[in-house]
Amino acid sequence: MRVLPRASRRLQAFPRATLVAIVGGFATFSLMAGAELTAELGSIAFAPWIALVGFDVGALAGVAASVAATGLWVWASTLDAGAPAATGPQVAIRLAIFASLGASAGVVARRLHRSEAAQRSIASLQSDLIDATLDGICLTDEQGEILISNAPLRRIAVELGLPPTGTVSDRLIAIAERTTEPHRYRERMLELARDPHTETADEFELKGSGRVFRGYTAPVVEPDGSFAGRVWTLREVTADRELERLRDAFVAAVSHELRTPLTSISGFLEMLADEEAELGETGRRYLSIIRRSTVRLQRIVEDLLLVAQIEAQRLELRYGPADLAELAAACVEAARPAADEKGVLLELHRDGPLPLEADGQRLAQVLDNLVTNAIKFTEEGGRVVVAVTREGSGSVVTVSDTGIGIPPDEVDQLFSRFYRASSARRRAIPGTGLGLVIAQAIVEAHGGTITLQSREGEGTSVSVALPTRPAQRAGAV
Amino acid sequence: MKRVLVSDPDGDVVSLLEATLRRLGYEPVRDPREGPLPEVDAVVLEPGCREGRSLLRRLGDAAPPVICFSIYPREAGLAPPGSAAYVVKPGSRVQLGAALATLFAA
Repeated sequence: MRVLPRASRRLQAFPRATLVAIVGGFATFSLMAGAELTAELGSIAFAPWIALVGFDVGALAGVAASVAATGLWVWASTLDAGAPAATGPQVAIRLAIFASLGASAGVVARRLHRSEAAQRSIASLQSDLIDATLDGICLTDEQGEILISNAPLRRIAVELGLPPTGTVSDRLIAIAERTTEPHRYRERMLELARDPHTETADEFELKGSGRVFRGYTAPVVEPDGSFAGRVWTLREVTADRELERLRDAFVAAVSHELRTPLTSISGFLEMLADEEAELGETGRRYLSIIRRSTVRLQRIVEDLLLVAQIEAQRLELRYGPADLAELAAACVEAARPAADEKGVLLELHRDGPLPLEADGQRLAQVLDNLVTNAIKFTEEGGRVVVAVTREGSGSVVTVSDTGIGIPPDEVDQLFSRFYRASSARRRAIPGTGLGLVIAQAIVEAHGGTITLQSREGEGTSVSVALPTRPAQRAGAV
Repeated sequence: MKRVLVSDPDGDVVSLLEATLRRLGYEPVRDPREGPLPEVDAVVLEPGCREGRSLLRRLGDAAPPVICFSIYPREAGLAPPGSAAYVVKPGSRVQLGAALATLFAA
């Protein structure tokens, strides 16, 4: 860790303090004996030099200094014609007081030294700790100048070719053109420079090398709420992203390959269904189970492939006229048998037609997913409500349930791939953890937003807000 | 009866296509892989594999209408130019039937 001089708080020792004390002691003696000032100065004039020796060398030296000082005072009294001769009790009292002073100074110094050593040890450990992390870390002041930085940050700064001086924002902006998204990168940095209270995390990739870095910054706030500076961390995540890319490629490859056996299973299932009448009751039940499982397997494969498309930013939307109310109604009707079978009350509240320009098939997929989830996570006797309303220039569909809910600290993670809430895992409710990821991607591709609110044990509510016409219509997102 | 040439790297899928085509009222013809190709009215093949690409090469310019039946999406760009239809596996008999019906109705 490097601490700049401005922040330096290093304690200094007292060099040559004992020598100063000795010189001071003899100077005092000279004034007493030579200038006949023994009575005026008094024995107290030796006290600072005794304390200095005790503080500098230790308690025993302090006691020794007190003996020497008492001796010098007695000697000066004999040499100074104007001074009364020191009596035995006076000498004894002074010796005792000086000895106490010298010893006390030694004890105080020892404690101070120990405290200083402890502080140095903690500072050293903190320095080692901050240098041993993978993240580059620095702390900047109100103007953005670096106060403290660790070794990984200095290494990364060199590798990125950041200028050696200037504020952190200026240094980072200097490499904007080397990133794959210079405009977004520059805007982000300027936004940070403008708003001191922004806390943000973002990634950027370097052109050519493909190296990816993740940065995080947050304001440092004083107890009175004023802005004191900013902490910055920077970590290279190239290997993580490469691993994710490989995983996505693997999942996509496997999912494609799964379509081959699925083709045979579902195709021959169709053939068998033609002869269903000839099957006995048990045979028909088995056929029904195979059909259900095949559909489920097919859905999982399609979800995996869709997520791969989303990750590769190849999600394609086919825009056309659609009606959100109609889509919701169709979705509710399709889900009603499952709700009835489970004993869950399924309701639809709609205002009227809600036309919008959208990929109706994809939006239906979102609604199916939300309603299926709501039914899946709601116990018998519970209720699922699908409400479609107009809001401003757009439409909102909200799917609320009285189901098992989600722990509050897991809500943000629900939109991560393969993440499943602990409440669902505990109850062994099947799922891949892809539904909400897909729903979010489709909604956002339409220029909309999806939000989720939940209370564990009480229920969940998911709202999808969509513009009537996407601001930026595009075939691919 | 219209004759349809089928090609797929997976034997079970070939059997399925043969059975499906028969039920749809067509005469399936398996890709002989070697030697002269039989005269057919349409081809159903997987364009995302060696067998499918080989068949396309052997058919050459005089290829009958091709229906792609693939594990890859249309966006993968595997369909040969001018292919008549594209069905993503697992698909269904209805989809294949509709593709063939449209083709022969044209």
